[in-house]
Amino acid sequence: MRKLLTTALSVSLLAIAIPAMAQDSFAIINAKVVTNTGPTIENATVLVQDGKIRGIGATDSSAAAPKPNGTSIIDGTGLWVTPGIFAPYGQVGLVEVSLESSTRDTRAGDSISQASLKAAEGFNPKSSSVSATRGEGVTHVAIGLSPRASVFGGIGAIATMSGDFDSVQTPEAFAYVQLGSNGANLAGGNRSASMAQLRQGLSDATRRYTSPDDGDAVRRADALALRPVVAGRIPLMIGADRASDLQAIAGLKRDFPNLRLVVLGASEGWMVADALTAANVSVLIDPQETLPYSFDQVATRADNGARLQAAGVRVAFMQRSSEFSHNVRLLPQHAGNAVAQGFTWDQAFKAITLTPAQIFGRPDLGTLTVGQTANLVVWDGDPLEVMTGARRVVIDGEVQDMTSRQTELAKRYNPNNTSDMPHGYRR
Amino acid sequence: MKTPFKLCLALTAALALSACDTSSDKTDAKNDGDAPAISYASTYKALPSRTTLITNANIYDGKGEEILGGYVLIVDGKISALGEGSIGAPEGALTVDANGAWVTPGIIDIHSHLGDYATPGVNAHSDGNEATSPITAEVSAEHGVWPQDPGFAEALAGGVTTLHILPGSANLFGGRGVTLRNISSRSVQGMKFPDAPYTLKMACGENPKRVYGGKGGPASRMGNFAHYRKNWIKAADYRQKRDDGEDYTRDLQLETLADVLDGKILVQMHCYRADEMMQVLDMAREFDYKVTTFHHAVEAYKVADKLAETGTCAAVWADWWGFKMEAYDAIRENLPYLHAAGACAMIHSDSADGIQRLNQEVAKTLADGNRAGLDISKADAWTWLSLNPAKGLGIDEEVGSLEPGKRADVVIWSRNPYSTYARATRVYLDGALVYDRASGLKPVSDFRLGQPGTDAPVLQPTTPQ
Repeated sequence: MRKLLTTALSVSLLAIAIPAMAQDSFAIINAKVVTNTGPTIENATVLVQDGKIRGIGATDSSAAAPKPNGTSIIDGTGLWVTPGIFAPYGQVGLVEVSLESSTRDTRAGDSISQASLKAAEGFNPKSSSVSATRGEGVTHVAIGLSPRASVFGGIGAIATMSGDFDSVQTPEAFAYVQLGSNGANLAGGNRSASMAQLRQGLSDATRRYTSPDDGDAVRRADALALRPVVAGRIPLMIGADRASDLQAIAGLKRDFPNLRLVVLGASEGWMVADALTAANVSVLIDPQETLPYSFDQVATRADNGARLQAAGVRVAFMQRSSEFSHNVRLLPQHAGNAVAQGFTWDQAFKAITLTPAQIFGRPDLGTLTVGQTANLVVWDGDPLEVMTGARRVVIDGEVQDMTSRQTELAKRYNPNNTSDMPHGYRR
Repeated sequence: MKTPFKLCLALTAALALSACDTSSDKTDAKNDGDAPAISYASTYKALPSRTTLITNANIYDGKGEEILGGYVLIVDGKISALGEGSIGAPEGALTVDANGAWVTPGIIDIHSHLGDYATPGVNAHSDGNEATSPITAEVSAEHGVWPQDPGFAEALAGGVTTLHILPGSANLFGGRGVTLRNISSRSVQGMKFPDAPYTLKMACGENPKRVYGGKGGPASRMGNFAHYRKNWIKAADYRQKRDDGEDYTRDLQLETLADVLDGKILVQMHCYRADEMMQVLDMAREFDYKVTTFHHAVEAYKVADKLAETGTCAAVWADWWGFKMEAYDAIRENLPYLHAAGACAMIHSDSADGIQRLNQEVAKTLADGNRAGLDISKADAWTWLSLNPAKGLGIDEEVGSLEPGKRADVVIWSRNPYSTYARATRVYLDGALVYDRASGLKPVSDFRLGQPGTDAPVLQPTTPQ
C-alpha cells in the first residue's frame, strides 16, 4: 500500500518535480530569478557550486554556463528563485509549546539580570518550530526576548533556520526595549517611568561602576551589555506604537546621537513619519494590521507602511498578528498583503529579505549575488502569493531538509496512505 | 424627555407581540410568570436594494461550481438567476459590469468573538468568557456583543456577510452563541440573523481544566467529562418535566441544555484533540444529542472518516499551531484532508484579524492539500467559506451559495480571491451595497469617529491590481 502512495504522490508532483539536490552544486535553469540587486530575470539560470553562487543570468546567456561535471541541472520552469526570507523579529526556537512554561525561554521575570540576557543562549535549533519555519522559505530570523521585569529585554541574535548547532550566527545582533503602555507597566506604572528607566539605563552604559549596583537604572552587567547600543555598534530595537511614543524615541538621538534605532510595531508611525526619517529610525511593521487593538494603536491604518515608505522611512515587515514563535513562516503572506495596500512588489519583497539584512548590517544576506554563499529559496510560484510553497531551501550554501513534524504527520494521515495496520505503523 | 421613552416602550411591546405570534409553540413554560424567550428577537431589516445585474463575472457559486463569463441577477434582495453568458437586464435594473472579476457568495465565519472581545482590547471590553463557573449555559454571547466593535467593518471589507459570535472557551458549557448579519446597527438585535437557531458553545480539553483547576475543578479531562455528563443528566430530567407539563421552575442553564436535547439549539464544541472528539461523540450518543461542529479541531484530520460517518462538521484554521499542547499536532492539510474524507469541513477565524482574510486562509490550505496529492478545485474549496459554515449554523437554506431564492449576499473581488493581492471591491448584503472599495462606502464605528487617522484618505496601491 505504501508503494501505491508513493506512486500517487510522485505523479501529482511531476509538474514541479525537482531532482534530489543532495549535493551543494546545482544549476536551476529556466526559472524566474529575483536578485534584489536589479530587475527580476525571466528564464534565468542560477548556478551554485560548493555552496557559492557562481552565476546568474538568462538561461541562454554565457553568465550561467559552463556547468562543470557533477552539477545537477534542475528545470526551473514555473519556479522562482529568490533570496531567503529574513524575519527581522521572531521567537522561533525559543518556545516549543507557548502555554507550557517549561518549554519557553522568552522571558525571565525573576532574573537579577535583564538587559544582558542573551536570546541566543535559549535558542534550540532542534525545536519543531525551526523546521516548520525553514520548510516555508524562511532562512534567517532575528530572535528576541520578551522583557518581564524592566523595559530592557536583553540582547537579540540572528539565527539561521538550518537546525544546526552553529545556527546562531550573530549572538549579539541588537538590544530590545519595550515602551508604550506595556513598557510603562514594566517600568513601574507609567510612561514617565519607562522613559526614565530607558534614559538612565543608557546613561549607565557609559558610567564607571565601583560596585555592581552603582547604576541609576541597571546593574553593572546590564550596563556593560548596553555599551555597544550607545556606541551604535548594534541596533536598539524598541517596541512601541503610539505616535507620541515614536516621537519620544526619535528624540533619544539628541542625548544619544549614535543610537541605531529600530521600532517594532509603529502602528501610528504614519503620523510622525518626518520625525522618524529625521532621526534615521527604521521600522518593523505588520502590514496586515487594520484595527485599533489598543489605545496605543487608535490610528492604525492599513496604509501605514506605504505612507512611511513614501516619507523616506526604512520599512521592513514583521508578522505580529500571527504568532512570533510559531508562525514567522507566514511573513510572505503579510508582505503580499502590503502589495494590495500601496507597496510595489519589489518593495514588499525587499521588506522581508534585503531590508532586514540592511537593518542588521548583514551585506552577505538579502540578495542573490555572484560570489556569495547561497542563501536562497526555490518556490513553485510568486513567493508573496498564498498558494505558493517553498520547494527547496538553501542556507549557508547547504541544501536543507524540508521535513518537519508537520510534514511527517501529514504523510502519516494522508488520505492516500492506507494500510491494514494502525496509524502508528505508517510512515 | 418622556415622550421618546414611551415611544420606545411601545415599539418594544409591539415587537415582542409580533415575535410572540411566531413562537406560540414555546409558550408552555409554567411557573416562571414571565413571557417565554421571545424578547431579544431579531429586528434586522435588509437595507433597501435595487434590482441589480452583475455581468461579465467569473463565479464560484459556493456549491462547488465555477462559471466563467457569467452573470448574477439580484431581485428584491434575493438571488434571482445566475448562469453563463448574459441575459437582458430587467427594466430599471442597475447593471454592474464586473469586467471579468470574480464573484462569490459572502463569506460566513462560524467562529468569531467580534463584539464580545471588541477592539480596543481594554479590560472593559472583555465580555466573552463568563469565567466564574465551568457551567454557564445560561449566558448568551448576544448580551456581550458591542455593535460598535470596529472589527465588524473590517470583516465586511474582507467579504464577511454573516458571522457567528460565540462565548469563549473557558467553560465546559460556555453559553449560547448568536448568528449575526454583518450590518451596521445600534443594537445586537438589529444584527441578529432572523430565525437562525441558537447555538451552545462547549469546550473540551485544556482551557476548562486550566481555568478551574485551582478553583474547584474540573482539574483534568476526567473532570471535564464528569461535569458534562452530570449536567446532561440534569437536563434530561428537566426536559422530561417540561414535556410532561409538570410543575417546574424555569432554569436558564437547563433550558438551553434541554433545547439541545430537543434539537433546537446546535452544539458548537471547541475541541482540538482527535481522541477527545471521539469521546465527545460517544457522550452525544449517550445523551442522544448531536454535535453540529467541532471548532478549532486541530487534529480532526486524524479522525476525518469518523467525522464523515457521524455527519459532524469541523471548523479549522489553515496553519495556527503550537500555542498549547493540544495544538501541537497541527498540519496545514487539515481542511483538505477532511474534505477528501467526505466530512463537512470549513475555515474559521477566531480572530479579528483572521476574519478579514478567510479567503487567503482557504487558499493556503487548499494549495497545501493539493501539493499532498489531492485534487480539489477552487470552486469546491469555496464551500469551506460559505456553504459549509452555513450548514454548521443551520442557515444553509438561506445563505451560503448563489442559488435562486437565497439571500443575495454577494462579493465582487478585484481578482481571483485565492490571490494574496485580491481585495473585496463590493459587498452586497441582501442585495444592498454595503461596502464599495472604490467609493469608500464602508460603515465607521462610533469609536472611530473623531479619532486620528479615521478620515485621512486611503493611499491607493501604486501597482495595478
